[in-house]
Amino acid sequence: MVSPHGIQLAVHLISSFYGDLCSKVCECLLRRGTLTLALLIWYTELTKENVIDCLRVLIHQNCVQAFAIEQEGAFDEAPRIVTQYMALFRNIIHKYRAPKFMQIVSEELGNDCLEIFQGLIQHGRLSINQIIDRNEQTAGSSDVHVVRESLSRLLSARFIERCPAPEPFLAPPYEEETPAKRRAKSAKLAGEQTMEQRALAAAAPIDSMRFVMEREMDDISEEKGEESTNSMPLGEKRKQDVLRSDEDVLDANRKKEVLWRVNFEEFVCRLRHKGCTSCVKTRINDEAGIVLSAILELSRHSEAQQKVEKSDYLSINAIYDKVIKKEGGLGMDFDRIRSSLAQLGCQSITTGPHESYSIDINGIIEMAQIEEAESVVLRKYGREAYRIFRLLSKGGRALETYKIAETTFVEKDDILNRKEEKNGVQNQKKEKNGILKVLFSLWKDDYLHKENVTTSAAERSLFCLWKVKEALWEDVLDDMYHAALNLRLRIAHEQDQAKELLQLPREKIVGELEKKYKLLGRVRVILESSLMNLDDAIMLFNEF
Amino acid sequence: MSRSLGSPSSLKRKRPEKDPTGLVDAERAVLNVIKSKKDLGIWAGDIAKDTNLTVPVIQKSIKSLLTKKLIKEVVNIQNKGKKHYMAVEFEPSKEISGGEWYVNGNLDKEFINVLKQLCLRYMHRQKVATLEGVHNELKKSQVLKFPISSQQVGEILYSLVLDNEIIEVKSTGLGEYHSIPIGTVCYRVASGTGAGKGPRIGAFASIPCGACPRISLCTPDGVISPSTCVYYNKWLNIDF
Ligand code: SF4
Repeated sequence: MVSPHGIQLAVHLISSFYGDLCSKVCECLLRRGTLTLALLIWYTELTKENVIDCLRVLIHQNCVQAFAIEQEGAFDEAPRIVTQYMALFRNIIHKYRAPKFMQIVSEELGNDCLEIFQGLIQHGRLSINQIIDRNEQTAGSSDVHVVRESLSRLLSARFIERCPAPEPFLAPPYEEETPAKRRAKSAKLAGEQTMEQRALAAAAPIDSMRFVMEREMDDISEEKGEESTNSMPLGEKRKQDVLRSDEDVLDANRKKEVLWRVNFEEFVCRLRHKGCTSCVKTRINDEAGIVLSAILELSRHSEAQQKVEKSDYLSINAIYDKVIKKEGGLGMDFDRIRSSLAQLGCQSITTGPHESYSIDINGIIEMAQIEEAESVVLRKYGREAYRIFRLLSKGGRALETYKIAETTFVEKDDILNRKEEKNGVQNQKKEKNGILKVLFSLWKDDYLHKENVTTSAAERSLFCLWKVKEALWEDVLDDMYHAALNLRLRIAHEQDQAKELLQLPREKIVGELEKKYKLLGRVRVILESSLMNLDDAIMLFNEF
Repeated sequence: MSRSLGSPSSLKRKRPEKDPTGLVDAERAVLNVIKSKKDLGIWAGDIAKDTNLTVPVIQKSIKSLLTKKLIKEVVNIQNKGKKHYMAVEFEPSKEISGGEWYVNGNLDKEFINVLKQLCLRYMHRQKVATLEGVHNELKKSQVLKFPISSQQVGEILYSLVLDNEIIEVKSTGLGEYHSIPIGTVCYRVASGTGAGKGPRIGAFASIPCGACPRISLCTPDGVISPSTCVYYNKWLNIDF
């Protein structure tokens, strides 16, 4: 489930990119979950045409995915096929990351590719012909070969991908099975995948086609493409009906041509890796950072597809080859690489002369996440709180107040007085400035979980056990979305304040005005770079 | 404690004013209770419960026992507001005193900081060290005028780990760990770009919202909002 401020940020983004109507439809989907067209119209109180227009835009911009399911008919009616719409939260958030993505493309592949990539960022989905047309318009002339060449470079870097099927049909998981089997299986499936996850999996182009542009491939896909997204022969005929049913909405996507779009996953994966590498560089050292980035690069494509907890086992030779090609990695020898691998906590297997290593990617990501949360604690509550929080998050178990005070060198203050305070004796307040004060402020702000344990011994009848709150990462992520939204709102506010100034011709901006103009520029740079940095951290917290 | 009770003179006289140790009955009873608590000490209020004496009598006895140097007043860090008493022959237990790091019921922060700085300075010179190594170095140094236990050094090092100044690792036996047997727990300064700078401030923590006490009250159009936020104004250094 998306966090409340995540939704607010997404709605704000859609409204600033595609207007208020689209944001209304999108908000409805984000808050209520997957809906049919009829329900969307009902909830948003917009006209059918408006909703359809918005859906068309949102689908085209990869913010909404349609899929069809079979719904049991009431009172002996035959089952019906219904089109459902789901909002793709992550794709919406990616909208403001475009500058980062473009920078990566421009650095790695140069301007020709960037030109095409920009078109896809702007338009969401384009066919090859549209790309060529657009290139002609922006660049004046266009060489089809160059465009194709650039496109295939973008594909082999996995920066772009074939669009998913517009409206896959989800067959009920329990078709033609005995009730017992059905129960067992659907329980298992329910635990594994939601309807939305199944829809996304069904819509995704098969791996062998996802990053391939060959002419023959296009032909194959036209004949077989949709079939391959849905292997249920039974659903096939029905699906055709479905596609006709919401034809209006899907019209834009149902051209015969293959459509391409940005492969956000690849970028997020790269940026996450960058975050991990820089975390390791500061925490361990540069060499470990170089080795980590080599390993991550070697195992990148297996991670992009699914959430991988550990990398594959990679041979030391492969790692070495990659490391020496990296900046700063040229002078490294096997021993130094081995030492870095050990510092990174890599597991190794040695069989005969073959020595290979696997890294716990999740562990590294977690380390970066924890570091982010810890530094918030440090700034907000000070060094003692920081030490306490680290003690509790490292141990991962509950600890008693005094034990915490002893380990972190924070003044113990007395628990008995607190008890009296609760009973109405107020005069002991001045005592409460040690460990309890810190713990209580962390607890009040939901960083810690507190458990009271009563023992029979009269002297110390009240024990408190403290541990880091379980769903803390979700809260931190929500706060980060909130902060990102605030930054964006502030940027908009600053622009708004200086509207008149910005409308003046440049030569009229002199003296006081010029000062103001420069200040505005500086403020913008601070705000925008802070937003981008914050977003790097958000990506570390994002689940795949 | 029964030595005074067993004296022959106390048996002879019915209600003796004083016994050979010079204690009156009440004082003796109070002393016995206090002694029985050994290194835990006892609060004056609890003495009343154990002896059935009245509070003024107890107060008087305590005063007298104090002047006779048979008991002493100790600070119980669990309850600093209440006076606790202990027989002179006992030293306050860790539970009462707070442990080696406490002096008169207060955490000796200055001492702790000095030790931390010493350890850290050594670690920066050494890059990698074991607990033993640090302990030996401290023992050798002229700065400390009294002995310090290996456990205390361990506690100091762990608090430096929590401060993120040093990292606890297991020796790999390679590179900088060559002199330490493989698998031995040791400590290392972070030698990366963050070395010596303490914890890195993350992206979220470096903007106002990351440290904002009012974030839960802040809404786009509310009284507290990013467009009117004072923390932002201060951060961006704008004065309207
Ligand atoms: S905008 Fe200002 S008030 Fe709102 S959360 Fe950020 S710092 Fe706090």
